[in-house]
Amino acid sequence: MMKFLKQVTDYTKEAVQAAKYIGQGLSVTFDHMSRRPVTVQYPYEKLIPSERFRGRIHFEFDKCISCEVCVRVCPINLPVVDWEFDRETKKKKLNHYSIDFGVCIFCGNCVEYCPTNCLSMTEEYEMSTYDRHELNYDNVALGRLPYKVTQDPMVTPIRELGYLPKGVTSGHDLPAGSRRAGQLPEEILAQMEPKAPKEEAKAAE
Amino acid sequence: MTTGIDLQASFIQIFEQLGLPHGAAKLVWLPLPMILIVTAVTVLALVATWLERKVSAAAQQRIGPEFMGPQGMLVPAADVLKLLTKEDVIPAKTDPWLYSIAPILVFVPIFLSFIIVPFGQNMVITDLGVGIFLWVALSSIAPIGLLMAGYASNNKYSLLGGLRAAAQSISYEIPLALSILAVVMMSNSLSTIDIVNQQSGYGILGWNIWRQPVGFLIFWIAALAECERMPFDLPEAEEELVAGYQTEYASVKFMLFYAGSYANLILSALLFAVLYLGGWESPIPVSWLAGVLNVNETAPWFQVVAASLGIILTLFKAYLLLFLAILLRWTVPRVRIDQLLDLGWKFLLPISLVNLLLTAGLKLVFPVAFGG
Repeated sequence: MMKFLKQVTDYTKEAVQAAKYIGQGLSVTFDHMSRRPVTVQYPYEKLIPSERFRGRIHFEFDKCISCEVCVRVCPINLPVVDWEFDRETKKKKLNHYSIDFGVCIFCGNCVEYCPTNCLSMTEEYEMSTYDRHELNYDNVALGRLPYKVTQDPMVTPIRELGYLPKGVTSGHDLPAGSRRAGQLPEEILAQMEPKAPKEEAKAAE
Repeated sequence: MTTGIDLQASFIQIFEQLGLPHGAAKLVWLPLPMILIVTAVTVLALVATWLERKVSAAAQQRIGPEFMGPQGMLVPAADVLKLLTKEDVIPAKTDPWLYSIAPILVFVPIFLSFIIVPFGQNMVITDLGVGIFLWVALSSIAPIGLLMAGYASNNKYSLLGGLRAAAQSISYEIPLALSILAVVMMSNSLSTIDIVNQQSGYGILGWNIWRQPVGFLIFWIAALAECERMPFDLPEAEEELVAGYQTEYASVKFMLFYAGSYANLILSALLFAVLYLGGWESPIPVSWLAGVLNVNETAPWFQVVAASLGIILTLFKAYLLLFLAILLRWTVPRVRIDQLLDLGWKFLLPISLVNLLLTAGLKLVFPVAFGG
């Protein structure tokens, strides 16, 4: 008899506990309803890409020495470097350069290894076309600079999470002049400088 | 007890004054509430789909539909237009008859059940003596339709979904009916009007929810299962069964299923309001309010205000429950089929039986509070 009663009480306890947990879950869901939407209303609002954003590759024609390092470090040997040897100057002359962004995986190896820094990453990511062959950018297309989100009058730029003030999680409706958390390298340096000469003096003694 | 406005009586009276015989006047009146209810239910279901989108979006910190009409309110209309203009595909090797009849068999009983949903003392198509029992009876036709849809589609996912839907509907029908029975026992009537009247008089304190604290929970769980709502949506579990019995359906036939499921949800919410939340009764009794404001309760304008208040309150209660259902959808994970049947047969059924017994006992002991 006691065993049966214990079973009943245990079962009831479990049921009550389950109901309690469902109630807690409901309160969490309900709480979410009053929060501001975190979504970015894309064509009207855009996130500002971070400074390390790996977007479309920019190419500076005049800096290129046709060394083909970019081709060698590319996982699929993608960049096409069309050059010829100029006998008069005894130097390679670059004729054409192209990267097919329909195939590129934006790993940034070419940018990393380019000896003359003629390759760089931009913040452009909206490259959709109706024909995939249009994604094969030649040196003219590669030399174009993207339009900045912050300068587009049609777009409200939204800061990414890492660029928000401390404790803020939404990039919407930020007060003007609000800064990201932490300090700039210059500021850290400025704080360190007054101490630095003293230490040097001590070291000299 | 005031009767409130009786549209039917006044309508027939007007036509009799115009020289029509009583029978003819009644015949003219007959289709009006039906058309009204069918349109109203369609609109209510469309509003429910819109709410589902908006509330789901809010629960996930999104905005949801925004640009189609104010706050995306035209999305349901666009849905209907799209589904109406789509090609009606009947896949090869289906059973064309069963395939076509199934959605109708699911859709019609749900819309038919609305004839017993009261919005006021006389704001109901028919005050049937068997009222709430009609709903229970009609809702058990739906599993046949679901099973037919699942079988006729000639698709293993559809068949699995149909079987699950049938098993689920049948097993949750019983606790649902038993919890209704407890309410019926207290009101001594199956008529929805009588059930509401029995709860009236004391405002929010008189509602059945206080007398049936376990019953309303059982009813709500079972109703969610009957509507195949989220914690119990395994007939349509999209991760496992594509869309269950709806998989092969398109255009108008799919729309019938879709509208049917939302209309069913609205119906359950409305009946919950009727059974446990005092239907059209306001939390503060209207007659008491009239007494405080020193208004004659039989004044025509007051009758109109009270009737509109009743309709608004019924809908408000129903949509509050709908909101709760959507919240539950984003809170509770889907149960497995064995858990579902366990919950239905081993938990809800005994509890609802105990609840019924307890209600019967309380009715004998306290006939005043429990409708002796």
